[in-house]
Parts: sequence; C-alpha cells; structure tokens
Amino acid sequence: MAEPITITGPAAKPRRTPSRLRNLFAERQVLFGGSFILLLVVIAIFAPFIAPKDPLEQDLMLGSLPPAWLDGAEPGYYLGTDDLGRDVLSRLIYGSRIALLVAIVSASLAALIGTILGLLAGWYGGWADRIISRIVDIWMAFPPVLLSILLVAVFGSGVHSVIAAIVIIDWTRFCRVVRAETLAQSQLDYVTAARTAGFPRMKILTREIFPNIVPILIALVSLEMGIAVVVEAILSFVGLSVSSDTPTWGGMIAQGRQLIHHAWWLLVAPLAVLFTTVLAFNQLGSGLRRALDPVLRR
Amino acid sequence: MIAVSILNRLIVAAVTLLGVAVIVFVLLRVVPGDPIAMMIAPGASPADIAALRARYGLDLSLPAQFGVWLQSVLMGDFGTSISLRRDVLELLLGRLPATLELAFAALIVALAVGGAVAVAGTLVRRTPLEPAIDAINGVLLAVPDFVWALALVLFVGVFIPVFPLSGRIDPTLSIDFLTPFYLLESLVRFRLGVFFDVAAHIVMPVLALALPLATVITRILKEALLEAMVQDYVLLARLKGMSEMRLVLQEALRNAVGPALSLTGVQFTFLVGGTVIVERIFAYPGIGNMAIDAVINRDLPLIQGLVLVFGAIFIVINLAVDLLAAALNPRLRHG
Amino acid sequence: MMTLSRRQALSLGTATFLTGVFSGRNALFAQDSSTLTIAYNVNLPSFDPTVGPSAVNPTIQAIYRSIFDQFIGQGPDLSFLPGLLTAWGWNDDKTQIWMDVREGVKWHDGSDFTPEDIIWSLERAAKQETGNPIQFVWSTAGNYKIDGKRITGDVKQYDPTFFKWMAFLTGYVMPKAYYEKVGAEGFEKKPVGTGPYMVDAYEGNAFLRLKANPNYYGGKPAFDTVVFKFVPDATTRVAEIESGSSDITLEIPYEEYDRLKGKAGLKGVATPISDIGMIFLNNIDAMLDKNVRLAAHHAIDKKAIVDRLLRGYGVPIDTLEAPEYDAYDASIKVGYDQAKAKDLLKASGYSTDRPVKFKIQTTRGFKPKDYEMIQAIVGMWRRVGIEAEIEVYEIAKHYELRAADQLAPAAFYNWGNAIGDPTTSTGFAMFGPSPHSVWNTEDLDNMIMPLWGEKDEKKRIDGWKAVSKYIAEQGYVIPLLQYVQPIVYKEKLKVVPNVSGALQPTLVSKA
Repeated sequence: MAEPITITGPAAKPRRTPSRLRNLFAERQVLFGGSFILLLVVIAIFAPFIAPKDPLEQDLMLGSLPPAWLDGAEPGYYLGTDDLGRDVLSRLIYGSRIALLVAIVSASLAALIGTILGLLAGWYGGWADRIISRIVDIWMAFPPVLLSILLVAVFGSGVHSVIAAIVIIDWTRFCRVVRAETLAQSQLDYVTAARTAGFPRMKILTREIFPNIVPILIALVSLEMGIAVVVEAILSFVGLSVSSDTPTWGGMIAQGRQLIHHAWWLLVAPLAVLFTTVLAFNQLGSGLRRALDPVLRR
Repeated sequence: MIAVSILNRLIVAAVTLLGVAVIVFVLLRVVPGDPIAMMIAPGASPADIAALRARYGLDLSLPAQFGVWLQSVLMGDFGTSISLRRDVLELLLGRLPATLELAFAALIVALAVGGAVAVAGTLVRRTPLEPAIDAINGVLLAVPDFVWALALVLFVGVFIPVFPLSGRIDPTLSIDFLTPFYLLESLVRFRLGVFFDVAAHIVMPVLALALPLATVITRILKEALLEAMVQDYVLLARLKGMSEMRLVLQEALRNAVGPALSLTGVQFTFLVGGTVIVERIFAYPGIGNMAIDAVINRDLPLIQGLVLVFGAIFIVINLAVDLLAAALNPRLRHG
Repeated sequence: MMTLSRRQALSLGTATFLTGVFSGRNALFAQDSSTLTIAYNVNLPSFDPTVGPSAVNPTIQAIYRSIFDQFIGQGPDLSFLPGLLTAWGWNDDKTQIWMDVREGVKWHDGSDFTPEDIIWSLERAAKQETGNPIQFVWSTAGNYKIDGKRITGDVKQYDPTFFKWMAFLTGYVMPKAYYEKVGAEGFEKKPVGTGPYMVDAYEGNAFLRLKANPNYYGGKPAFDTVVFKFVPDATTRVAEIESGSSDITLEIPYEEYDRLKGKAGLKGVATPISDIGMIFLNNIDAMLDKNVRLAAHHAIDKKAIVDRLLRGYGVPIDTLEAPEYDAYDASIKVGYDQAKAKDLLKASGYSTDRPVKFKIQTTRGFKPKDYEMIQAIVGMWRRVGIEAEIEVYEIAKHYELRAADQLAPAAFYNWGNAIGDPTTSTGFAMFGPSPHSVWNTEDLDNMIMPLWGEKDEKKRIDGWKAVSKYIAEQGYVIPLLQYVQPIVYKEKLKVVPNVSGALQPTLVSKA
C-alpha cells in the first residue's frame, strides 16, 4: 500500500529530552489533526442536513457546471457539478461517510487482529512467537497494491471488499509493533514484580502490559486510518472500490481525472479533501505519538 | 557465527517464499468464476470448453493442481501465460530488469533528495526554517504516489514537455541490447546517446516513485540525526572544533544511517509495490504494468508468477536490509 | 577548498547529465516525417491473429491487419474487397465453395505466397486443438482442392456468413512453411505475414515498431516506419499527443477530443463505428415481468445521454443492429416515454415509493463513459420507480459470468460486429443455445433457429428484422447506442476513419 507514514517501533533508542518547542508542535499537530477529523465526523453524521443537494440527483442539463465563483455557475451549486449534473459539494460531504467508514472499520479491525496476535507472540514467545512472526514475514512479502487489487478482484468490488483488503494486508503493521512493544514491556521491572507476586500470566498481559501499549496503539490506529483513506482512493482509482453511484472521494478523483482540462474542479476538489484528511490523520497520529512517547519510554 | 546467522536467514527466506507460493495458489484458486471463460468462442460446445480446461490443467483437484504447479515451478517451469501465450518465466525475466532499474533509480533519487533535505533540516535546527521544512515535509508526506504521477503527467507532461511521458526508450532507436538492463548496459558500454535517451524516459516514473519515499526518508533520517547530534561523541567532536557541517555529515550521519536504513528498507518495498500503478500511468514496460493486464485478463499462470517474483523481491530486500543493518551496527553484530 | 572542488566537479557532472538528457529528448523531436507514431490504447498480447483470446479482441485488429492480410479485405466502410483472395463464392446449390488466390505475393521472409498457405490456414483454423475461437465457423467447410489459382472445397454445413468471417476475427492467412519450421514460440518471436508492414521490434507493454513492406502487393505503404506505443492510460495518451510525442491517438474522453481538435497543429475525426453499447437482460427475477423490462427501456432518454454526457458522439439505437448493418430496420422504435414507463410499472404494482429492485453490472473505463452512462440510466430509472444497484466488474469477469449464464438481471456490455451481419450481432447475443446469449427463452429460440442456415439471403435478412422487432416488443434486451470513435492527429496527416474501429496505419497518410 502506498505508505506515506513511518511507524517508529520501540526499537528506537531513548529519545532526547523533548524541548518545549517540540511539545508545543506536537500539541499543535494534535489540535489540527484532531479538530479536522472531528469536523469530518460531524459532517459525515449530519450529511443529510449539511449537504445542499441530494448527492445522487442528476440533471444532464446541468452537467459540468463550474464552482460558484466562476463564470457560468448556477446558484446553489457551490463547487459546481460533475458531468452527470450532480452537486460536487454534496457528493464530497456524503463521500466523507464512506471514507470514515472505511478508515474506522478497517483500522480498528486490523488493530484488533494485529494486537491480539502481537500480544500473544510477544508475551508467550516460543512457538507462538515463531509461528506468528513467520506468518507476518510471509505476509509482508506480498506486494500490497497488487495484493489489494487481487483481493478486490476475488471478493468483487464494494466497501466490504476494500475494508477486507486493508485488514488482510495491514494487520501485520500492528502485529509487529505490538509484539516488539510487548517484548520490551515484559522485561521491565513492574512485570517481573507481578510475576514474582504470582499473578496469572494472562492477567499480567491484559491488566498490566496491555494498558501500557494502548497509547502507541492509538497513534498507530490514527496513522492507519490515513492509510485506509488513501487505499480506498487507490482502489477507486483503478476502478475496484465502491461501485454503485454512492459518492466516494477516490471515485470522484478517478472521474475528475478524465475531465481535468474540461472541468478541473472535479479533480481538484476531491483531491484537496482527500489530501487534507490524510494530512489530518497523519498529524494526529504523529502528534499523539510524540505527546505520548515520553510516558511510554520513561 | 556470522555465517550461521546468514544461513539461518536464507533458510527463513526460503520458507517465507514457500509460504507466499501456497497463499498465492490458494487465493487464486478460490477466485469465483472460470479463468478460461475469456477463451470460449461464440458457439463453443460444452465439450470444447472441457477440452480447453483440460489443456490448462484446470480439471484436476486443488491439491493435485498445487503439486503439479509447485513441482514445475521448482524446475523453473512457471507455465505458459494464457493471455500472452509465452513462457511465464521468460516473460518475467524479460520484464523484471525494467522494474528493477526503475525501482533502484527511484531509491537512489529518494535517498539523495531525502538525505539532502534531512541534512539541511538538521543544519538549520532551532531556527525558524526548521518548522518550515518539517511542515512542508509533513504535508508532502500525505501525497500518495499515484497523485504524484498524476500531477507529473498533467503539469510536467503537457506544460513543460521536457521528458518523454511513456515507454522506456525511444521506439525509433534501433539498439541491440545484450541484456535487458538498458540503463545500466548503455552506461557501462559508454553509449551515452542511448543512455541519455533511456535516462530521459525513466525520469517521470522515477520522480513519481522517489518523491513519496524521499519525504519518508527525510523524516526518519532527520529524527535520527537530531538524536545523534545530542550524543556524547558529537559533543566531544564539537569541543574538538569540528565544523557544524562536518559534524552532521561525518559524525551524526554515520551513526544515524543504521537505524534509518532498516525503516528505509521497509519503505523501499512499498516503493516496489508502487511500481504497479506508476508503470501503468507512464506505460513503462515493467512487471507492474504487466501485472495489471494479468489481473484484468485473469491470467492465472502469469499472476502466480508475478506475485512470486514480487514476493521474492520483497524477501530479498528485507534480507539485504537485515544483513546491512547487522554489518553497520556493531551492537547488532554481537547480539 | 577540497570540498569546494569536489562540489564543482559534482555540479559539472550533473550539468552534463542534464544536457545529455535534454539532447536525448531533442533526438526524439527530430523524428523524420516518414515515421508514424501511434499512441495506442491497448497492449498487443500475442502475434498470432488466429489463436487465443487476443484473436477475438476487436481493438488490436488494426495491428494484425498491418502485419497480416485477411483472406478477404475490408474497406473502411465495411465493404468487402479482394484480399489474398481475389474472388470467391458458392456454387448454386451451396454445397461447394470456390476461391481465387492472388498471385505474385511474397511473405515477409521473401518466400512465395501460394494457395497451399490458404488451405493450410483454413484447415488449421478448423482444427479444434489449434485453439481458434471461431473454429465452429471454419469447420463448416473442408476437403479443399487446388486447381491452378482456384481452390474449391466442400460445404459440410451451410453457413451464410462463412466468407464474411474471412474479413473478420481470425480470418487471417498464415505462412505454412515458415510456421511449420519455427513453431508457435518461434512465430511469436519473429512473426511473418504478407501485410503492408513488417515487424521490426517489439517490447510488450511498451511499443511495436513496424517497417514498410517494400514488396506489398497493394503498393509500398505511406510510412517507412510505424510505431505503436502501448499507452493504456487515457490521460497519458492525451499528454502524448498534446506534447507532440505521438502523431495520432484514439479512444480519449470526448471532452478532451473536443478540446484537442481545436488546438493549433491538431485535427480530429469522430465516426460512428460498428460497436454498440447495450444492456443485457437476464431471464431471472424482476426481468421475468414484461412490464418491468419495457418500463426499463422506455425510461431511458438515450438522446439526452448521447447529447449531454457523450457530447453528441453516439447514435441512439433501438435494436442490436446499427444503421450500417445488413439487417437494420429504421421502423423499429421503442422510444423514450417516462409516463408510459410509470404506467407499465404501476400495472405491476411498482411506483417511486415502492420501486422494483434489481442489480445492474457494468464495466468502468472499458468504453468511453460506460460507467457514467450506467449511472445516468440508474438516475433515470429512479425517477420512474426502478431502484437498481450498480456493480462494477472487469470485462474478463463479464465473459466468465456470461459463459456460466450468471449475469445480474441487467448487465451493460458493448458488442462489436465489424461485418455487419445479423448472426454476429442479434444472433449470438440472443439465441439461447449460444454460450454468449443472456436471455434464453424458447419463443425467441424457435424464431431464430431456422435463420442460421437460410440460403435465401433476402428471406434471411427479413427473418432477422422480424426477430429484432419481436425482441423490441418483448423487451428482451436494451440496446443503447452506437459508439463514435474519437481520433486526434497532427494536421500534417490525413486520416480515413474506419467504421470497424480499427485504426490501421494504411488508412493514415501524409497530408
């Protein structure tokens, strides 16, 4: 998968003392990312009340209208219309529903699977670790774009296929980080103490270690959501995502690309939204990571 | 001990590749539908269809098909492509060099650009320029490779038509290449005219692949450099009166390269994966472009071969990164 | 000091590199005018024009027709012309066929073309194990004999379209001696034909370079060199022609066609081709209700789709026969009538509040605006009380589902028919036992059955017209439009558009 983000695992060495400037920057990142995502969630939930038009309503007589500030615009179509005469702004607003659905569901599922396997591998070690790590290695050897194209070709196109493809490919990200983190935590004093005190292993894992992994997990999930939004766009771009006339950003990009010289707003508007959303998820993720890191690292 | 560890890693790589083979096979055989439907003519009888199926070995049971397939793959026989009607291995070997050249050229450009920006960012740390570089890089991090490709086609391609937009070499040139490595071969044989033509063709896809990776490298490396700059040995060198530039380039970079490298390795596999779409857009004749055709045509033998090759590349990259990291990092070498 | 000089050396190296790269680019622009560079929309998979799936891919026939000759030629208006056969026909009772073979033709390798080659090609095509997808036609004649330049053969089963296929898919003449010498693999590496151009260099997914055949029987072609660049991405094709890297391109979005043809130095031509867009209906679920089928047809405003979405590039049709086809009947009309569609649905108990629901499958980006068209149609259906769910699939998937008769109740497809015969359009598309049909009911099959071997041509064509009329009345299929193919080229060229859609280099010349 086109992977614009890095996940620094716990293998990283102790970081230098965070300066105040850096903390501020981190907070600003969280502030920007968080508030944009929050805004997006609100827009998605209240789409029917916010959208000026029905995103599916077509009028071939009103095709390819320019945005409101250009000549030839029709009142009420703030960002113009596509070649079928559908309102671009309304489609963008409704498109946020699919984008967030894909982002939230696929990132959570990938996190769930990856975390469970990562915890098991990191905590129990031995055979469990060897088998799970081997599977992860095999998995990482697949070309992500090709694999997702293949998977969607196998399952047929649709939101569920896109989500399935992301989960199937990206759970390994979580698994690797969580495994390494669990391994690191299990060598710390508090775990040794808990073990000497005779707590059951499972209980130590769920009560003691897991809560310490949650912060980095949250950051990872946020980054993964950004990735999911991009993947949905890539799959739409090669024509394999959601296929009904339900608006999606990726679908709008693919459509706008064909008409770039004729109606540039059809490409620029969804690209801008996609880009800002990915940026927001990235910023939120890396901001959270920076903010939460010192706690984690002690 | 190092030899043992290398051998160990090789065995692991082989096992991984076998795992890839099993998964590819299972995945493609559960594809609902019928891979030979494309070949059925209007008016073909059920008997014709059965004969076609038998010809491609699709009438056997699944495990039997896998056995037959694995055996022939081990013998170097990847089967015949249904859509291209040629030997799959021959096709792959013919196309792979194009993708390798593209990927490595992109890696080099990404390392150069990403490295330069990271060093620059380190040099200007704690000045107003640093957050500016961070912010721009952070923004560019959010641009996926297909968007870079699109932007390049639309802006560089049409408005500043400097570089060719499609293909790997000017089709009107008649050149007898000895190997499928056009870029490398023309350079080694010092045929500069040819080399420049091939280089001009590769510029656009290389940029589309390199720029996203460069942003990632910038970020990883800069973080590592900043960390290194506050370590004792750097402080010591500074006390000795070493210039800031040399501090960054000689002391910090040497120590930051190791950790940055392993993450770059993972990122490089994403770059290789990205060739699928970028090659398509720039009509570049590599295995990525072929892969999309193969999926569209449901060409099972070719898809299997392609995924195996991609898998092998990924495994080799990971192996190389592991070994390099071990070689560069004394701590790992002993541990 | 040291660092500085190193940096200087480095920048010097970069400068040399860039100058070199730019000059490499200049070499590109300085192409001599005797080279024709075509930015082509599909990759050429295989050189053998008679075997495998690529043989029946209409899009690459332009390439095959450059390298090979067909038994019978075809003009850009679909008329049949002498090819490697100069005359042909049946005897009176249609039990025998005869063909006259052109003399003095040479293969690209310099050897003589003989009647043996014709017979070998026909017999090879008729053999099942060769893998010719049209084998079922070629096997209807055999037992060929040579008498001078005339070949005669026995008709095993009369097929009125036999000679038409000789100018259509897989109807190519292959070199007997050469093929037997080098085999299938060798032929893929170095194909030999009799066509106007010879293969010079080929790189899959990149380009095919052809050079003029100086011995071509139709005279030396207009260009010394023809390059097909395989550029599947439409945006890149547009950039290719706009930046001047290619001389001619095709199948670009109509918006881009309109923009580019107005640009200085570029010209455009857009002609209706023998390729139609249609919606297959499957005899399952909601489609068993005649009211629903007819309402779905009446609800579609084809003219609005053509005018607004396709910018006028398309011809609305009501049967599977386009105006250029033999069995076209202008009197068969279905017509856009929203009120009627609503009434029909009401009679079956459906309305906009209680819509009839079904799934419609479509390709996306396979044909210009295919997906957009289906979205527009679904929008029109929504207004009368049809709620259709769109599913996108690859074209290969369509073939799979169609062969297994598992298509959704409605499925969009495009049907090419470059010989204009009703059997190769309405026939294969609608006759139940054909593996390519979707609607299978006995009433229709019984009507079509006698037409396959009808020896009286007028009766045959009239019969097919009656079939088209019946299909329209029953609503067994929804024909949408005949496609228009956009071609953009440099103004220094002259292009004769081909109704079959094959952009053959021989139809391009210097202006």
